[in-house]
Amino acid sequence: MIGIVLKTFVRRLWQLIPILLIVATIIFVITRMIPGDPAVTMLGPQASAEAVQNLREELGLDQNIFVQYAIYLKDVVQGDFGTSYAYNEPVTTLIWKRFPNTVLLSLFALVLALLIGIPVGVVSATRQYSIFDYVSMVLALVGVSMPIFWLGLMLVLVFSVNLGWLPSLGMGSLAKGLGDVFRHLLLPGLCIATIPMATFARITRASMLEVVNQEYIKALRARGIREYLVIWKHGLKNALPPIITVIGLQVSYLLAGAILTETIFSWPGMGRLIYDAIENRDYLLIQGTVLFVAFIYVMINLFVDIVYIIVNPKISYAKQG
Amino acid sequence: MKKRFWLALCILMLMGVHLLLAQGNGEHANTETQPPKGSSISRGDRGNVLTIALSASPKNLDPIKYTGVYEGNIIRNVADTVVRYNKDLSAIVPSLATEWSVSDDGTVYTFKLRDDVYFQPGTYQDGKKMTAADVKFSLERSAEKSAMNRLGMLKSVEIVNDYEIKCHLDHPNAAFLTVLTDAGNVIVSPEDAKGWGESFGAHLVGTGAFSLSEFKPDQEAILNRFDHYWGPKPNLDGAIFKFITDAAQMTNALRSGEIDVATDLGGENVKVVSDDPNLVLDAVPGLHVAYVYMNLMHGPTADKRVREAIIKAIDINALIKGVYPYNEAQRAYLPLPPGSWGYDASLEKLIPSYDPEGAKSLLKDAGYPDGFHIDVYVANKPARVKMCTILQAYLKKNLNVDLEIKTAEWGTFSEVASSGKAGMYAMSWTWYPDPFFFLNKMFHSSEIGALGNGQGFNNPEVDMLLDKALTVPDLESRKVLYQKALKLIVSEYPRIDYSNEKVIYGFNPSVKGFVVTADNSIDLVSPEVNVYLED
Repeated sequence: MIGIVLKTFVRRLWQLIPILLIVATIIFVITRMIPGDPAVTMLGPQASAEAVQNLREELGLDQNIFVQYAIYLKDVVQGDFGTSYAYNEPVTTLIWKRFPNTVLLSLFALVLALLIGIPVGVVSATRQYSIFDYVSMVLALVGVSMPIFWLGLMLVLVFSVNLGWLPSLGMGSLAKGLGDVFRHLLLPGLCIATIPMATFARITRASMLEVVNQEYIKALRARGIREYLVIWKHGLKNALPPIITVIGLQVSYLLAGAILTETIFSWPGMGRLIYDAIENRDYLLIQGTVLFVAFIYVMINLFVDIVYIIVNPKISYAKQG
Repeated sequence: MKKRFWLALCILMLMGVHLLLAQGNGEHANTETQPPKGSSISRGDRGNVLTIALSASPKNLDPIKYTGVYEGNIIRNVADTVVRYNKDLSAIVPSLATEWSVSDDGTVYTFKLRDDVYFQPGTYQDGKKMTAADVKFSLERSAEKSAMNRLGMLKSVEIVNDYEIKCHLDHPNAAFLTVLTDAGNVIVSPEDAKGWGESFGAHLVGTGAFSLSEFKPDQEAILNRFDHYWGPKPNLDGAIFKFITDAAQMTNALRSGEIDVATDLGGENVKVVSDDPNLVLDAVPGLHVAYVYMNLMHGPTADKRVREAIIKAIDINALIKGVYPYNEAQRAYLPLPPGSWGYDASLEKLIPSYDPEGAKSLLKDAGYPDGFHIDVYVANKPARVKMCTILQAYLKKNLNVDLEIKTAEWGTFSEVASSGKAGMYAMSWTWYPDPFFFLNKMFHSSEIGALGNGQGFNNPEVDMLLDKALTVPDLESRKVLYQKALKLIVSEYPRIDYSNEKVIYGFNPSVKGFVVTADNSIDLVSPEVNVYLED
């Protein structure tokens, strides 16, 4: 078992290198294809041509595109993503400042989605066709279909503007205590969690329905094992593989959802950083952040696959191909 | 039975969503004149600290690196300039300099400096007295290193004594004093600027009423009162500038009491704030012109008759009502805002009024009886795109001209617009009250290829007048020259100047003494202003 896990891990790590190189190249080409000159964008409408030219030289944008690409690749291989034009700070520093904020928000949303989504799915499955089942599945359908942007604005209008219960922007400060950060987390967290929560509920219900009608569950009941153990221990364990796959997919989605949500709630994370970088034509920052997010995606997928092997030993990636 | 249950459930759900929407659509019934009970906005536990939202995220507070009005508004409260504009922007008044004189040839400016000015304590000095050497350092630093080349005309600064300097220019430039009022030319602590080097932008130290305590990019800048400030003692204990890039979000934050001042309001949000009995709205005409350029080098619009026809084919008064339903702008006529001292209202009559028939015959004379196809490039801003849509309808109806709207975000737009590749392009311009920053930047042939003059306006006589206006030091003579230039410019029909947008802020009513200025600059404390919060 451990052998299979290790083999999978090492092999996938090797695959990571060409993937990241391809992503690095694609993102380099795309950033250079977007019309608009970073120097003009940064200096704004009133800059003189001379000032723009000076900045271009300073940023190395006057060099041949292939030279720029070669320098970029050489730096990336050494783990140097360069310095952001707009922030005047190393890209890696900016990422390390922002990424924890996005992780905090995404993890909070994930925990929220799991804690509510999975139990609702299990209860729905065990009480199929009950009022609870109907109501929760309709709500889940609404949840899955909810546009994040609209939901975010609605949450702010209801909980911040009309009721005045929760702050609508920023992430608070630890100086004021954990409670302050938690209050700031609630609205954006709920906003991102809605779709995964609904997805978890639906997939858990479907997966549990398959499981609870199987022979071994009946056998467990016949042996007099308590119902809650039958469902929550034996049933859920066997229903987990598809749920884990979906969790993996949803974690990637959480990162994407963070971009929109961070913009709505002024949450200082990676999402806003990428958004701003594109706005500012901040080439090196776009390249660095996108490459980093690609790396995180690949790692999450790898992690999900490994958990999958552990939960369901019948699957062996090592034997494939 | 089951079907009925489903139906009932769906209806219930829809009603719930509808209720939520009704609660949250931000509209008060117009009949409401009294604030709802207990609904005055709570400011939380912020005490005597003012929270202002800026509509963009400042990246760097180093005066030589800043590019936007947003950074300028923070810098301005932390550091001072040598001279400044008074609050209605009608005159340049003393700040760190008490008086000044100009040599006869216009190339040497002598400033007498205050002798009671202290820097805020920084990491590399402990609150020392400001002298001429610090002013020399700051101005020469800006002249050499400013990304925007703000002090390009300054050759050197000579120290006469501890409290007197002479600024030597490489050629006479009457806009020099105006440029000195820019936040990019504030006086900074040389020790801290050298000590911090590249990261001085996050640790700005100046002589202003507030010191920068913390700068968190994309979040906020926190300022604390500086007790050794040379001017009036600030009423506020501090100020927080929060960066909220989404206008609806900013309005919501104002309504929920999370911020005290919302800046740059426009569109729907103006209505939301003005309808809210718990908020105050303040609007002043800005130093701003929104316009549509026509290409003077290529295509049909290179013909003056075509340009005149296009202007005549548009009912600008109706267009304004459509683009600014909440009265966020006034009708413009000239490429200079009425707030500039160079404005000449008598020239307004030179702008053709709405005349569809006249427009048709002009276009026929120009050889386009059946109209033509032309692109208009526009940055992706709701007000600009809306304006282009109305423009499109007028040109189609009155001239059979097919206007194709091409929206692009700023980076793309600016590249196309400055290269003269567009047939028409819609944008706006805002700067100082000095006409130099409008007319020279948008109509001098030396600016062809820059965004200001992407249309390729090239008139030697206008160039001559604009150049001359920079060399005469007195305001009245300059005014005459600019007005002559302005007359020549508008008689070429180079563009459709349609609006002067207002600078619109929303306030929590407890904010007092705040002055909204036409140039969108925020001064919390100055000899004329001292903002405070009422309990």
